[in-house]
Amino acid sequence: MAAEPIVAIRELSKVYQQGEINVTALNEVSVDIHEGEFVVLMGPSGSGKSTLLHIIAGIDRATKGSVLVQGINVANLNESELADWRNQNVGFVFQSFNLIPVLTAAENVELPLLLTSLGRAERRRQVALALELVGLGDRGHHRPDQMSGGQQQRVAIARALVTDPTLIVADEPTGNLDAKSASDVLTILQSLSRVSKKTVIMVTHDPKAAHFGTRSLHLEKGEIVAD
Amino acid sequence: MNLPTFVLKNALRNRRRALLTIISVAISCGLLVTLLTLQRELTIPPESEAASLRIIARNKVSLAQPLPAKQLAVIERIPGIVAVTPFTFFGGNFRDETVTSFAQFAVDPKRFQGLLVEGKIVDGSYDAFVADRTSCLVGADTMKRYGLKIGDRMKFTGTFFPVDLDLKILAVFQGTVDDRGVFFHHKLLDELNGDPGTVGTWYMRVESAEVSNEVIARVNAAFENTAAEVRAETERAFQMGFVSMLGNVKMLVMLISGAVVFTLMLVTISTMSMAIRERFRELAVLKALGFQRRELFAFILAESFGLAVVGAVVGIGGAWGLWTHLDLQKLTSGFLLYFEVTPRIMAWGAAVAAVMGLVSAIPPAVETARMSVTEGLKTLD
Repeated sequence: MAAEPIVAIRELSKVYQQGEINVTALNEVSVDIHEGEFVVLMGPSGSGKSTLLHIIAGIDRATKGSVLVQGINVANLNESELADWRNQNVGFVFQSFNLIPVLTAAENVELPLLLTSLGRAERRRQVALALELVGLGDRGHHRPDQMSGGQQQRVAIARALVTDPTLIVADEPTGNLDAKSASDVLTILQSLSRVSKKTVIMVTHDPKAAHFGTRSLHLEKGEIVAD
Repeated sequence: MNLPTFVLKNALRNRRRALLTIISVAISCGLLVTLLTLQRELTIPPESEAASLRIIARNKVSLAQPLPAKQLAVIERIPGIVAVTPFTFFGGNFRDETVTSFAQFAVDPKRFQGLLVEGKIVDGSYDAFVADRTSCLVGADTMKRYGLKIGDRMKFTGTFFPVDLDLKILAVFQGTVDDRGVFFHHKLLDELNGDPGTVGTWYMRVESAEVSNEVIARVNAAFENTAAEVRAETERAFQMGFVSMLGNVKMLVMLISGAVVFTLMLVTISTMSMAIRERFRELAVLKALGFQRRELFAFILAESFGLAVVGAVVGIGGAWGLWTHLDLQKLTSGFLLYFEVTPRIMAWGAAVAAVMGLVSAIPPAVETARMSVTEGLKTLD
């Protein structure tokens, strides 16, 4: 395991304002995550695990504290820089797949590459590689509605890894899947961590899913209570 | 896949809605073009180079008041005038028609030839028309419309004058901006009316456009403080006087056009807002993947603009095709003569559609720009 953490979180707090009430989602959280780790964030609803994931991934901002990803303080990036940073460094996997229904699997996977300077042929090559990696090399021309939930989630994983990001963040990726599909998806994420040395951070409620990770962080009331 | 393909697939994801939007924009644009064409038809009299040289003098009291025929001798001597003829509107009904769409004028045939500058005799003979007191000179459009030929007779029932006309067609003209009129001998009208010694108006041609204002002033001055003062004006000003009798048509048409444009805007904004709202989560995902606000705005704008442009092409093209190939003169009994959908009008229609496409993209684009990724994902999760 590398000495320098990929993700260094220091005294991170997030306070939401709901009407006149301040709700603390994260309270002074500090944690290091290293390259190749498969970190599972667990905890009850409202514990702050998704908020932590969103801040690490640069789709939400902290109220206080810092998140350094490969030495870059994400909080210091403006909206435009953050968008570029996400495209280059983060792959997203959502609970409800979030594929674009009018695009084929290959086109969905290609989407993040449209923002890069890669040519069409190179994009196609990368897309084919990513789909092959998740075992859907022959389903590239299928639309999401022609695929099962497990297959759709695997397409989403292919989309997440096609830009070769540092981080792959997954927000309850197995929440909408049956046991077999869930196991397939978790195995792929595990393999990305073990074989490709990707840093995977996953939020889940499922204790079985947690067994696929290399490390579990348990959050309660915005604090890490078990590591 | 590339970005234009992505935009196209998004625009056509709900084909029924896209089609209905295109149809609504097409109908609105077609209607707008039709209204602008109607406005042009009603408010802009046909113009020609020769028309700028022509002057009409009428009784200062009103058009209905005749002028003394003896004024001719005075007008003839006014410098700058190269031709003048009495010009009296007969206003009869042809055959059994209750409303006849072409005008009939009593003129002095010899003198009138000097005013028919752009018109050419295409059938019969002008000399024969001059020689026969009961003959008439007819516009080619009227000949064609009623299937008339040289030698046929045209019977008119008087409405302004208590007399009827029975004229023999001896010449046909073509090439003027309005090839519908019928011209006959003033002498015949005088005879039928018991030689009252009056004319409706004086129709003059000046030697050059530069002197027309000067000549108008001279004509007006010549009959100042007489029993029959005149009001001389250019042919165009005279025609515009008739237009003003229709009321403020321009304002009315503009109001209706404004309502059409406003409705069009509401339809497209509403459609685009609905289309974007149902894709909020997808847009949030695109943001998460690294797409910037400007790119999302470009997607929305391209989609909205694309639908508006397709609608405009269908609507404006449809209106052009319809009004160009339909014989409106026949259908409206001559009320609408040209109804020409000019390039300028089509450009107006296209410009309005383009602006609508742009404007309707703004509210959903602003909404999308303000949306954070986490909000977008939560909203529809």
